[in-house]
Amino acid sequence: MLKHNHGRWSWINTGLPVAVMLGIGLVAVAAEPLAAQSYTPREYGDFPVIGSRAAIWIAAQLHLFFAAFVLGVPMFAVVAEAIGIFSSDSRYDKLAKEFTRLLLVSYSATAIWGAILVFGLITLYPGLWGYLSEIFAPSMWVYVGIFFFESFTLYLYYYGWDRWKKGRAKWGHWGLGILLNLWGTAVMLIANSWLTYMMSPPAEVTPDTAPGMVQFWSAFANATWMPINIHRLIANVVFGGAIVGAYAAFRFLSAKTDEERAHYDWMGYIGNFIAISALIVLPFAGYWLGREIYEFNQQMGTTMMGGFMSWLWVVQAFLIAVLFLAGNYYLWVGMGRIPGAERFMPYTKWMLLVLLIGAAVWATPRNMIANRAEITAMGGQFHPFLGVLGVMSAKNTAVNFMILTTFLSFLLYRRANKKSVVSWEKTGTTIQGALFVVAAAVVLFYGIYGYFVPSIVRIGFSVYQVLAVIAAIILVVVIDILMMRGAKSRGEIRWGEMPERSQYALFILAVTFTWLMGLMGFARSGIRQHWHVFEVIRDTSVDAATPALGYASIVISACVLIFLSLVAFIFWVGGLAEKPVISDVGGGAADSAPLAKDQGMAG
Amino acid sequence: MTNIKILGVMIGTIAVYTWIANTIPQLESVVPEELSFSADVSPAELVAAGAELYSGGGGCTTCHGLETRAPNLLSDYNGEGTIGQRCGTRVTGQDCKVYLHESMVSPADHIVEGFEPMVFQARVLSGAQIWSLVAFLQDQGGTVTVSGSDLATAAEADAAAPVGGPAVASNDPLEIMRGNLCLGCHVLEGEGAELGPAFDGMGSRIATDRIRRGIVDPAAEIADGFDHLAGSMPPNLGDMLTARQLEVIVDFLAGQGG
Repeated sequence: MLKHNHGRWSWINTGLPVAVMLGIGLVAVAAEPLAAQSYTPREYGDFPVIGSRAAIWIAAQLHLFFAAFVLGVPMFAVVAEAIGIFSSDSRYDKLAKEFTRLLLVSYSATAIWGAILVFGLITLYPGLWGYLSEIFAPSMWVYVGIFFFESFTLYLYYYGWDRWKKGRAKWGHWGLGILLNLWGTAVMLIANSWLTYMMSPPAEVTPDTAPGMVQFWSAFANATWMPINIHRLIANVVFGGAIVGAYAAFRFLSAKTDEERAHYDWMGYIGNFIAISALIVLPFAGYWLGREIYEFNQQMGTTMMGGFMSWLWVVQAFLIAVLFLAGNYYLWVGMGRIPGAERFMPYTKWMLLVLLIGAAVWATPRNMIANRAEITAMGGQFHPFLGVLGVMSAKNTAVNFMILTTFLSFLLYRRANKKSVVSWEKTGTTIQGALFVVAAAVVLFYGIYGYFVPSIVRIGFSVYQVLAVIAAIILVVVIDILMMRGAKSRGEIRWGEMPERSQYALFILAVTFTWLMGLMGFARSGIRQHWHVFEVIRDTSVDAATPALGYASIVISACVLIFLSLVAFIFWVGGLAEKPVISDVGGGAADSAPLAKDQGMAG
Repeated sequence: MTNIKILGVMIGTIAVYTWIANTIPQLESVVPEELSFSADVSPAELVAAGAELYSGGGGCTTCHGLETRAPNLLSDYNGEGTIGQRCGTRVTGQDCKVYLHESMVSPADHIVEGFEPMVFQARVLSGAQIWSLVAFLQDQGGTVTVSGSDLATAAEADAAAPVGGPAVASNDPLEIMRGNLCLGCHVLEGEGAELGPAFDGMGSRIATDRIRRGIVDPAAEIADGFDHLAGSMPPNLGDMLTARQLEVIVDFLAGQGG
């Protein structure tokens, strides 16, 4: 055996030195003519089969998916831990720990895809990378430093969980969670400055400006930097909630015991609640970002909303409609496990109707680029009926009605098994109902009035509609909290007694959020069109044209599939490493007090 | 079995979204290409090049594909027909070709009632590109009259134009402002459009430094009441003027008292 091995590897002793000598000789021969040539750095590299653009696109998108997850999950891990501390309810602490366990491997995946992205940029887009690194070098050094601290804070946060679980040590541990979020947010802010610079470089930067002459801070804090920061911060929470919901759904479906089912049913509810709650706020951040893009460059704004990307918003509306429908469906099915919820069930069909009509209106295209034959076939630039519903007045009205309806679902869910003991319950409920009616009336009034005023006035109406909805939500929640103080229970929530079909809604939510993120990433990046840095560094590669939505959707779907496959692997690995922490949410010991806390997350 | 169902739901959802995105109209943003035509270029070649530019790299459909921002050029407007049919009747005594060409090189001259001046910089297109667009628009219900001689004249003008330098060589404030299309949005003694803040009386309303800043960095400070036009003013105006020209305009506007 030994001899055999010796025979197999013996070439190392003889052949390797010869090969090395030959290699050196060949290199020397090859290097001679090269040495006489002057070195010219290349602008672009080639990537086999899929091309450089697709390669960078996939690397960037997957890095962003993981980054969004590892930024979103710590946010509600630290909130869940705080709820556990303040309420002395250990279930939230265990939930927070389980969230954090998912982060460990996800961090590695984020870093790996980040490295793939950087190496991809260096080898495939060396010219652009050189330009950006010359401007942003100091922030890149800070970035890696913070990432280092962030990683080690995470290790301390997770592995110190059981060691620092009481007294002051617990507060210190919670402080680590906050620190983890601060590091993560700082990392995101830095990376956002690089990509937003490519979208909206400062006005003084022109194609002739040498990168060394670009003012660092004006490049860093460019026009779209802060809107993107806010939008991504909220979107990360939505995304993290959705992925955690899917994780819980997977665990629920593969659970062996009632306790496991109860725990993961509860976890899925929390994930869905967080995702949908943040989703409701997200469009407002999106409006701000859109406005800043218009202010930076009107042509970029019109390219985004009315140019070659106009159909993208129809697809976006469809995806968001799926999110609203799946989120509400999950809540309505979940009411089946809440004693007392039967009294609200007749309303769900009407809420479904509002959501369906809202989705149909929102997804109605109005302005589309059509050729002469298409216009003739349609009988004019606008469809005689759909054209009326496709304007922003109708769309804003529809989406505000969808938000109000989703909020109503949460409210009914929250109140399902509670019986108020305050004397003014009837008055309070009447006021809540009136607030809904007033908000709906304001939304409808401005929606109709918008048809009779110029577009510039009409845009302002969306603010009144949004304010009416937000005011109604805040006031109704305040009244509800006061009204349900010390409320009697109509019965315990039967956690775990959830039909399997509801869990598939959580999967659809996760897939849809992920796909939507990919789509919006394409929109944000695509509006630069044939520019690496808008109107400063032109894309002269073979991939300079911005592809149509069909091609983009294939790349997005590939990214989503790769991401979800890796996430499934991470969840599986997480399951191998440690048994899941099962909290006591399904046992008969739960009294009405923790029951109220359960649902407190919904309100 | 459960895992297969989960996989089926996820892949099915992704497949539906991909299918929807592939069934809607596919619009690609192409890179504008430099055009080069021989003297005996045919109308069909010009129209084809113009069509590609119109719906692609020229970015025309961004506004003209949507009737809310600019008239749709491919469909009937106010019962006057498509652009090829109505271009010859827009200005009395002016033929279609001249009207369309002027509309592109000097958009403030022909603003259709009910619309704002075009946010369009003819300088980003070559003469050949502009003429190919004219040919394409003429072809929308009319007759193409653009010829090789129009292109030859445009090529000479392109060759004579300063590359990457100021739009005009003059140091006369009015010539500088006209040459840079300032009066496309600002009115001065009855000339120009009342879209942005008027140049009349500007010196009595705004400090000299702010006038200068407004030219070189228009996004830095938006005049009250003009938020909706933020982003309309070209951000690279400072690069299209010589230092002397910039100071001439600043001094001129600062001198516009009430």
